[in-house]
Amino acid sequence: MSAASPRSDRTDLPHEAHLILLASLDGVGPARLRWLLSLGSPPEVWRAVAAGTLPPPPMGSGITTGLARQWRAQAASMDPVAAWDCCARLGIGVVSLGGAGYPPVLADDRDPPVVLFHLGDPDVLGAPRVAIIGTRRATGYGVRTAQMLGRELAEAGVAVVSGLALGIDAAAHRGATSALPGRGGAGPVAVVGGGLDAPCPVRNRRLADEVVRTGVVLSEVPPGVAAAPWRFPVRNRILAALGEVVVVVESAAAGGSMHTVREALERNRPVLAVPGPVDSLASEGTNQLLSEGAHPCLRTEDVLMALGHSTQSTGGGSSSPSGVVAPPADTGTQRRDARPEPTGDAALVLEALGWRPTSPERLATLSGLAFRPLSAALAELERLGWVTSSGGWVERVARGIPAPRPPDA
Amino acid sequence: MLAHVPSATLLGVEGHPVTVEVHVSNGLPCFTVVGQPDASCREARDRVRAALLSSGLRWPDRRITVNLAPTGLRKAGSGLDLAIALALLEADKQVPKGSLVGLGPLGELGLDGSLRGVSGVLPLVDVMDAAVPLVPVDNLAEALLVRSDSRAVRTLREVYEAIKGLAPWPRVDPRAELSAEIGDEPDLSEVHGHVVARMALEVAAAGGHHLLMAGPPGAGKTMLAERLPGLLPDLDERCAMDVSRVHSAAATLRAEQGLMRRPPFRSPHHTASLVALVGGGSSVLRPGEVSLASGGVLFLDELGEFPAAHLDALRQPLEAGVMRVARANSNVTLPARFLLVAATNPCPCGVGRWGDCRCSPSQLARYDRRLSSPLLDRFDIRIEVDPPDANTAFARCHAGESSAIVRHRVTAARLRASVRGVTSNRELRGDALERHAALRPEARELLRERLESGALTMRGAQRVRALALTLQDLDEVDGPLALSSVEQALVLRSPGDASRPGR
Repeated sequence: MSAASPRSDRTDLPHEAHLILLASLDGVGPARLRWLLSLGSPPEVWRAVAAGTLPPPPMGSGITTGLARQWRAQAASMDPVAAWDCCARLGIGVVSLGGAGYPPVLADDRDPPVVLFHLGDPDVLGAPRVAIIGTRRATGYGVRTAQMLGRELAEAGVAVVSGLALGIDAAAHRGATSALPGRGGAGPVAVVGGGLDAPCPVRNRRLADEVVRTGVVLSEVPPGVAAAPWRFPVRNRILAALGEVVVVVESAAAGGSMHTVREALERNRPVLAVPGPVDSLASEGTNQLLSEGAHPCLRTEDVLMALGHSTQSTGGGSSSPSGVVAPPADTGTQRRDARPEPTGDAALVLEALGWRPTSPERLATLSGLAFRPLSAALAELERLGWVTSSGGWVERVARGIPAPRPPDA
Repeated sequence: MLAHVPSATLLGVEGHPVTVEVHVSNGLPCFTVVGQPDASCREARDRVRAALLSSGLRWPDRRITVNLAPTGLRKAGSGLDLAIALALLEADKQVPKGSLVGLGPLGELGLDGSLRGVSGVLPLVDVMDAAVPLVPVDNLAEALLVRSDSRAVRTLREVYEAIKGLAPWPRVDPRAELSAEIGDEPDLSEVHGHVVARMALEVAAAGGHHLLMAGPPGAGKTMLAERLPGLLPDLDERCAMDVSRVHSAAATLRAEQGLMRRPPFRSPHHTASLVALVGGGSSVLRPGEVSLASGGVLFLDELGEFPAAHLDALRQPLEAGVMRVARANSNVTLPARFLLVAATNPCPCGVGRWGDCRCSPSQLARYDRRLSSPLLDRFDIRIEVDPPDANTAFARCHAGESSAIVRHRVTAARLRASVRGVTSNRELRGDALERHAALRPEARELLRERLESGALTMRGAQRVRALALTLQDLDEVDGPLALSSVEQALVLRSPGDASRPGR
């Protein structure tokens, strides 16, 4: 290895160090990184970038001479040793495609990340994996469902894969991390769109720490690179590749979740969708998937069943169906029956409530009750587990699922 | 020759006695005003000169010095014009020495010698160190509220002739008879439906609990807020005087109706400046909206649109009941004990209904951040207001109680609170709350459950107890808080601060 600069003259420096630099360049995603690497070994390409001697890029790659100049300027201030030490200091592991420790499931993918950064324990990828995805603008119903699925799947030994975004992603991870302490469930897997040094969005930072503690957070973006909007759709293919089954909890008709679904379908992954109210924008996409033939996900067992099929049909890979512990099948039914039927005013209010979050005032109008009997009825319903109230809204609870705790309570 | 006349000047909402001293001596003709006059006070020279000449009086072409004592106090406005003119007449020997004794002149002079009203007459006349306050006709009703011996005059010439004994003091009747009619307050009976919101208004009025209403545009939030003052009892004598002072200083007092017996209602727009909201100003310290709402209701529509600095500034008056305005040369304390009612859209797009909202998560986060200030903590009552549906809007049977009936209950409930040593249950904290709002076992169990599930914070539980106490006061129930009272309180205080489900 002849040194390009005196500082990088370190014999123990792995070739990933130069990969980190190449991946850190402005506007470099998987496609451009692949082109760069087709030109030679990472140190060679790096020297070419720094010297401005890159060959003309292929047509349609969008790499302009201006961008190449920008890379050259950027390269002047970057150093492989510093980049490598930075990862080491932050505890971020770096594996490259073809190298030791690279997840086999990604190595077999049609569009694998060339370099992968991980924080936490990458061994959790050995468990069966289910991707739970959905909109950031989730409703209470979606959040509750994602959290329930996350928790129950984790308890059953399934690694919950999601994107650590707001809404459904966060709820799924929150459910998965809540299942772990002392129960021997599987750790969660998060794939984020930005560098691992600054998980995005900031509001999920504590949750991200929790995922690192109990599972692993992955990214193909080097630390220090901000999560540009174009990186999220690119990231979605990794979610689809990692999930042996993909569950969409809530999604608008168009959006990032539907993009992940397309990626999953291209990889022949079973896609399950959680049905929702037909007049809810947040369930438009999932209901559409159902009408197009996706399997409905009504309970955790549906996901486990789909997982069993998929692990059998793809011949196992690193996961084994026997590792999946199905929860007792009658849990759901027992819960449903456990709630005593409301009577009197409470029954009246429950009937008026329907399946949408409703304000107490609207309930008063619909049920015709005065304030005092209404509040008594609401308290009664909440005591019996039929409704939850949060932020001035009353919401019906399905199947006696315990309400999620507010994240910051 | 020297003459001095007592008068008064305004600082904030307080009057301060001032002695106007005029010295006329030989020398080059000039006119100086000393003793910290502000610009409009210094301009008195030109007004006084023109007024004297217009009134057929003489302007002495001599060296005139006007001193406004005490010198340490900054004098603002034109209210000292008449005092300066009269003192000048005496110093120039146009009226006999000693003929001004006992008079306390107040008012602005026009160039034609007429007298114009000034703001703040009520506190000014109150502190004036004179037997007979002399005020412009426009201010007579206001002056009579505190000094029944006040005398009204129309022009400088009238004053001159009366002092000289050339004519009797003019007799002026105050504009209208003194009456404390409620009259134009909107009535609660016009509200259809809104079962929860009506109860929220009643509890807010009875317990002094600040109220936050969230709901889409057209839900009736403003309409409901406007009806809150009508539910509050009449102001007592002391409070009425304090409130009237503030409104006198801001020139918003309708003195012909007497002292302000009814709680005021103020609804500043969210584009109002900080000074307009909390009071202040560089030359004249004026009371802001928080002080004008003192004793009544301050309504902030579109709470989320108010700049963060404005909302932060509300915390002091909410905590202390007064607004302290400090400036380089003055430091005043303005009353600011109001019932805060705020309305907000559930989200920037205003829809906020489950699934129908088109706001992006970052927009929502921004909106929430604005509202999640400690200010939000002060709202004991937080409710969601829905637009009434078509059936309710036209249903006769839903026409509810009138304001008068509710006010009757509120007055009784406030009386119960006053026995506890506070003006309203909102002020009960810590030990006092523990003592007066004990819980029955079932009620305690319910609160414990909510605390455990994370639906309520400790602070939230305390506020729920205060609300439940007010609810029991309205029902005229004594003893520990019953389960039903706590259940009702929980409906009025929605846990959490988001007004959207699932976030």
